[in-house]
Amino acid sequence: MLSYNFELALKSLKDRPSLTFLTILAIAIGLGLYTTVKTMSYQGGQVPLAHKSENIFLVQMDNREITAEEISHQSRLVDTTYKDTLNLMDMDLPGVRQSFNWSTYGILNVEDENINPQRTTAAVINSDFFTMFELPFLYGNGWDKTIEDSGEAVIVISKLMNDKLFGGKNSVGQTVRINNHILKVLGVLDTWYLPSKFYNRSFWPGYPDNFFIPYTFAINNEMPRSAGFDCWAANAEIARSFRTENTERLINSECAWVTFWAEIPDEQFDNYQHQLVSYIEDQKALGRFPREILTYLTNLNDQFTYINGRNDFMNVFGILSTLFFAVCLLNAVGILLAKFMRRTKEVSLRRALGAKKRTIIMQHVIEVVIIGLLGGLLGIVVSYFGLQGMMNIHIYQSDYSVRVEDIKPLFQMDLTMIGYAFITGIICTLVTSIYPIWRICNIPPASQLKSQ
Amino acid sequence: MLRMENVSKIYRTELIETHALRKVDLHIKSGEFVSVTGPSGSGKTTFLNLAGALETFEEGDYFLDGQNVKGLSDDRLSEIRNEKIGFIFQSFNLLPDLPLFDNVDVPLRYRGMSKKERKERIEHALETVGLVSRMKHLPTQLSGGQQQRVAIARAIAGEPKFLLADEPTGNLDSLMAQQVMELLEDINSKGTTIIMVTHDDQLARRAHRNIQIFDGQVSDLEKSIVDDVIRSA
Repeated sequence: MLSYNFELALKSLKDRPSLTFLTILAIAIGLGLYTTVKTMSYQGGQVPLAHKSENIFLVQMDNREITAEEISHQSRLVDTTYKDTLNLMDMDLPGVRQSFNWSTYGILNVEDENINPQRTTAAVINSDFFTMFELPFLYGNGWDKTIEDSGEAVIVISKLMNDKLFGGKNSVGQTVRINNHILKVLGVLDTWYLPSKFYNRSFWPGYPDNFFIPYTFAINNEMPRSAGFDCWAANAEIARSFRTENTERLINSECAWVTFWAEIPDEQFDNYQHQLVSYIEDQKALGRFPREILTYLTNLNDQFTYINGRNDFMNVFGILSTLFFAVCLLNAVGILLAKFMRRTKEVSLRRALGAKKRTIIMQHVIEVVIIGLLGGLLGIVVSYFGLQGMMNIHIYQSDYSVRVEDIKPLFQMDLTMIGYAFITGIICTLVTSIYPIWRICNIPPASQLKSQ
Repeated sequence: MLRMENVSKIYRTELIETHALRKVDLHIKSGEFVSVTGPSGSGKTTFLNLAGALETFEEGDYFLDGQNVKGLSDDRLSEIRNEKIGFIFQSFNLLPDLPLFDNVDVPLRYRGMSKKERKERIEHALETVGLVSRMKHLPTQLSGGQQQRVAIARAIAGEPKFLLADEPTGNLDSLMAQQVMELLEDINSKGTTIIMVTHDDQLARRAHRNIQIFDGQVSDLEKSIVDDVIRSA
């Protein structure tokens, strides 16, 4: 009976192929857009460093003035001041690794005048940044603490910069010029794919910075800072100038702008927290940290859970795409209903000749499943082109400072998403087809037999 | 073989109740050829639908081949229709996009027969109606009389005990009607019980028995009376 129902379902699909195609197209377009958004949301919301994301914590301490307003969520708490950053780096707990960063920018030049200078974003970091966040190296490596402490002019560049400035060759030992400084290339990163740029808390999707310099060099040479500064009232007026000048005043101020991370093994978590509180108590004795002690250690998982929930663009886009999918499904159901109701006479006859109600249901369920499958398949193709389009928009928005291979995974359907699209296509088509199937299978056997 | 006891059928809407059949008592024996006559709207089709287990009824009992069909599940009614009853309709009700072979195959498919057995039965049924050579044709390639013969082949392929024919010659000219009638008589002569609704007095007269339905009430007339009733009408 199954094979006969399958035969009938195929025959029905071939009957009025334009209606069948319209139904499949409606499902495919709706599903395609829905899956495009779902894929971006899913890929962009992936937690990086999944194997240790539970143990990598953003460190926050409330050093604000006594008059500061209460915060609505821990993510609103300020970053870390420079002096607290250096003090925390002195904390010595076995197995604990600490790293910090802030954003900068610059124009990279090389000796070869045929090569265009490259203006790009960058990160000022300490040496442990490379190991904590597991940056992949194509050539060379990062710097060690000795080089860092000496303030040496060294740099690690991205694969993109290496391709643009050195034609993709091993540039370790070569020099680059940033503004008026000459820096020696210590390492070239391989493609470092990040679902979003979490380490500076921007969570901007898709690509990391293009060069990395030691914080000592950046401070000594007054490299610009593209961070936001949370300052006490005394420094509020000149906070804007901290972007490019007044470095000495900034590093001794209560302005917070450094993003501070700690990789803490489970067994050291309590000790770390305890030391953090002890540190603040010590600082209180020196007249700092006027407010009640407040610290946060938020691991990567929790941060991404929060950020994914607050991604307004993706959330709105997600709601719109879901509504659009629903409208497409309604259209598909309307077409299916019209298609099914055209054959009331045939169904009535089949019922009279002995077809059971469940046989009629099965025949139409098979037909709907085939439509859902084909809609799902075509939806994946639509989604592929949708994702390509979104990726190109993203590259355009980044002013072409990012390569396709850097962000491709963000706009790529993996097996999970392909499976999700298939199952969604079939289930949604089936669920929305309940009404047309219910209508057709309830045609009374005697109702249409008298008609001419 | 077919026995109705006090069977009533009422169609209800919010405003009105229509008594389509009133307390029908009827017994049709195996092998009979019964004609059903009556004016339009008298309840002939309702009677045929009840007899064919196409509709349910509220009151009375209906025994078909010894089984009371009242209260049976929809699935069981489908099985009864498939196994015990063959339907012939005025408008043939062939599926236009299926060849004759596949049209005759429809009820057999729902019985779950093997492919070989179905093929044998279909060929035999089409041979009986003289259309075996055209089994790959579509219904639209046939005349009205030929289409009705295909419908008869579909009805007899499953070797049912009953044939229910609803004005089987209503859409045919007299010559074709004659051929179809002869075919039905031939089938009846081999033991199949036939109940035929018709408006044609001459055809009704050829049945063993005539049942007249007026305003939902059945008058069961023996052959000798049939002729008198028809003559005086």
